[in-house]
Amino acid sequence: MAVLDIKDVSKVFSTTVAVDRFNLTVGDGELVCLLGPSGSGKSTLLRMVGGFETPSAGVVAIDGEDVTRVPPEKRPTGMVFQSHALWTHMNVFKNLAFGLKLRRLPADEIKRRVDAVLELVGLGGFGHRATNQLSGGQQQRVALARSLVLEPKILLLDEPFASLDQHLRERLREEVRDIQQRLGITTLFVTHGQDEALSMADRIVVMRDGKIEQVAPPDFLYRQPQTPFVASFIGTMNLIEGVVSGGQFSRPGLKLPLPIADGPATVAVRPEALAIVKSGEPDSARIHRITDYGAHAIVDLELPDGFRLKATVPDAREWSGVQAATLAPRAFAAYRENVVAYRS
Amino acid sequence: MSLTPASDIVGKKPGRGLSGLLLVAIPVFLVCWMVIWPILSAIWRTVWIRNDGGTGSSFSLETYQFFFSDQYSLNNLYVTLWTTAVCAALLLLICIPIALYLRFSTGKLAAYVQGLAIFPMFVPSIILSYALIRVLGPNGTVDLLLNAVSLPKIRSPYLTPWGPVIGLVWDNIPLTVLILVSGLGSVSNQSIEAARDVGAGRIATFWYIILPRISNSILVAISFTVLGLFSAFTLPYVLGPAAPEMMGPFMQRTFRDLNDPVMAITQAVIAFGFCIVFGLFYVRSVAKNRAP
Amino acid sequence: MARLLVEKRTDWVGIGFAAVLSIIIVFPLLVVFTWSVTNVWRYPSVIPQEFGLRFWQATLARADVWSSITMSLTLATVVTLLSALICLPAAYAFARLDFPGRSILFFSFLAGHAFPKFGLLVAIAAIFLQLNLIGTFWGVVLIQLVGTLLFMIWIPVAAFQSVDRRMEEAARDVGASPARVFWSITLPQAGPTIAAAVLLSFVGTFYETEGAWLIGAPQIRTMPVLMISFINNQPVIQYGAVLSVLLWIPSFVALLFARRVISSGSFARGFGA
Repeated sequence: MAVLDIKDVSKVFSTTVAVDRFNLTVGDGELVCLLGPSGSGKSTLLRMVGGFETPSAGVVAIDGEDVTRVPPEKRPTGMVFQSHALWTHMNVFKNLAFGLKLRRLPADEIKRRVDAVLELVGLGGFGHRATNQLSGGQQQRVALARSLVLEPKILLLDEPFASLDQHLRERLREEVRDIQQRLGITTLFVTHGQDEALSMADRIVVMRDGKIEQVAPPDFLYRQPQTPFVASFIGTMNLIEGVVSGGQFSRPGLKLPLPIADGPATVAVRPEALAIVKSGEPDSARIHRITDYGAHAIVDLELPDGFRLKATVPDAREWSGVQAATLAPRAFAAYRENVVAYRS
Repeated sequence: MSLTPASDIVGKKPGRGLSGLLLVAIPVFLVCWMVIWPILSAIWRTVWIRNDGGTGSSFSLETYQFFFSDQYSLNNLYVTLWTTAVCAALLLLICIPIALYLRFSTGKLAAYVQGLAIFPMFVPSIILSYALIRVLGPNGTVDLLLNAVSLPKIRSPYLTPWGPVIGLVWDNIPLTVLILVSGLGSVSNQSIEAARDVGAGRIATFWYIILPRISNSILVAISFTVLGLFSAFTLPYVLGPAAPEMMGPFMQRTFRDLNDPVMAITQAVIAFGFCIVFGLFYVRSVAKNRAP
Repeated sequence: MARLLVEKRTDWVGIGFAAVLSIIIVFPLLVVFTWSVTNVWRYPSVIPQEFGLRFWQATLARADVWSSITMSLTLATVVTLLSALICLPAAYAFARLDFPGRSILFFSFLAGHAFPKFGLLVAIAAIFLQLNLIGTFWGVVLIQLVGTLLFMIWIPVAAFQSVDRRMEEAARDVGASPARVFWSITLPQAGPTIAAAVLLSFVGTFYETEGAWLIGAPQIRTMPVLMISFINNQPVIQYGAVLSVLLWIPSFVALLFARRVISSGSFARGFGA
């Protein structure tokens, strides 16, 4: 059963289309990531689910009920903001209790629920603290607790870890995922970091210019990107433009059999799928630099026309002193007009 | 940190425009009625004079002609301009060194100097007038101290044009210092260190690096002084000579004692005219700094 | 080298400024204070012959002093309350709502400050003369109210704007209505700055002399107006000194509260620096 149903939703600001005919259904207990560069409309979409923006067109339904024009205070959603947005004039307990008080719950019930949620986010006993006495990670946990304490049907997270440092971000990522799975709460998560999306999401929605590029589980997204944009946005990808003629893709320095109709095409190869062979031919790729990461090494290659590629090799030492190499992709995909035309 | 463009427009619904206008209506009405209308009305009433018989009105500049041909009025205008120029010069001379010191110093002593420089803001000018009379007036504290060390009495500035100058400078130190310090805040330490690095001395650094950066602040400070002095009333009224008097007391006397409102607003319009450039500059620089 | 870093240079410039400013700023006020606690001080003695609080009693026994205190407090309270009543909603509208002419109306409050104030007062007085508002309580209230508008709108606008929108949205999210958000989140967050603006407006009104003198005198006699007449006509020096000290109390309170606001620099920016 779909908890969240977004149908043909568009949002137009005075001059720009932020979200363009967007469709998505989110199932019960699912964690869906909205992933995209800034300006791709992901935050706007999240805010429309939360009720902070009204769609220009389309319908947002929660549990089958149309909430498109319902104000945020009447929606069963809980939002965690990027800057945590804690109320600095209230202590931690009051921040959490505010929403419960508005619902006129008895005081002992409020206390019980607040304490339980603080325990859940690992901040048991922090109720009396002022918000500015907390570290960045603790503040974000309080913000999460503030949303969870109301037991919303849908949890909305708007780049909640963006202001934290790398180490803390990774830890909180796991904690949030654990809590989400323990509570089985339906979650919509906005991020521009692919690591975050890949490590947390059940499904990822890649957005670009207000439109969906691809919706897929993380592993699928990495292995079978449907568009060159997705291919380049998730992980590292060599996107090589060239021409197909007579079943052969060609570009100076690279020739590949590609059984599609004649015309321009883009070949996408992951560095780890791009095998290279030492070569003395003048028309091969020149080795520009080798970066040794110990467990593997990245070779930067330059095609005769100046185009740069990356390839992964197991051992840097084998390549010291080598000037040129020929390219032999083990697996690749080809795109034409923004869709997959061939996958090996 | 990326703020979604949406956050600026959240809650924008039809009908909000009207409620916004309603909420600001009363203060805006007050500004129109008590600022804009009086100014327009003042200009109108001084150039559209009722005829002697009271039978009608006609365009006339006679009140202005009178002002600019009356030696007494001209003396008052002259003493106002003189006071303004002297005060502006003195203020810059006193406040630029203080501001420079505050900008480049830290610690308790700097905090004390800053506190003292800002303190006059919390002394109403009427108390200041009284204090200056007690200190500098006839048989005041300065006379007492001079007498105690057997020196002759000073020629008291009280009831001379210098009386208002001293009071007005005292009164205007805080704002001038604040404006200059705020302006100096935009001069980065690095730009000064870079200048010292290429061999500029203290004077050269001040002249070529700091001064150009704070010229706008200096102009704002001067505008403030000019606007303030043309409308100064209490200090010149209490400390200044009876004649020539500054524009503030002059207008007041014309309005209340001579009971001649038309001549008084003529003087006001002339004061507006002398300040218009500074007023506009002030409004422009504030508007530049502050968007609603 | 290491010694040089530790060694503290004597800040002669600072000492110079501190000494000169102490004399120029503090000394005159100290003299007034001394006069207020003096019973007898005849020329040419450097210190008073007799200290005492005789003139405090004498001053506080005067009916005109008490009536001016009452008048000043009533005026300042009425003006501040009226100003808060009309300006705070307007400030909220400027900060949070969009309406036609928002910018131009916002900057229109500068108009009163682009002209010499006393000239403007004379122009207003000429109009009040026709409306028979000269010498009336409400005439003075009106003229002082106009003087508070810029402060009471611009400072709260900045206060409302500095409240993080997402804090307000988070409150909407947990179920608070817009009115509840304003009351429970926006107002407490903006509260301290707004309180400073209200205090400034009270103190500014309390000391407003020119308008009260031009529009109100002689019927409406505030403390500063009474002080002027003491300076002009009162031969007993101590009366003026005691009244000065009394008169300074609100400013002293403002000094204690507004210190942080003023040293923050945003205050000077408000003046266009």
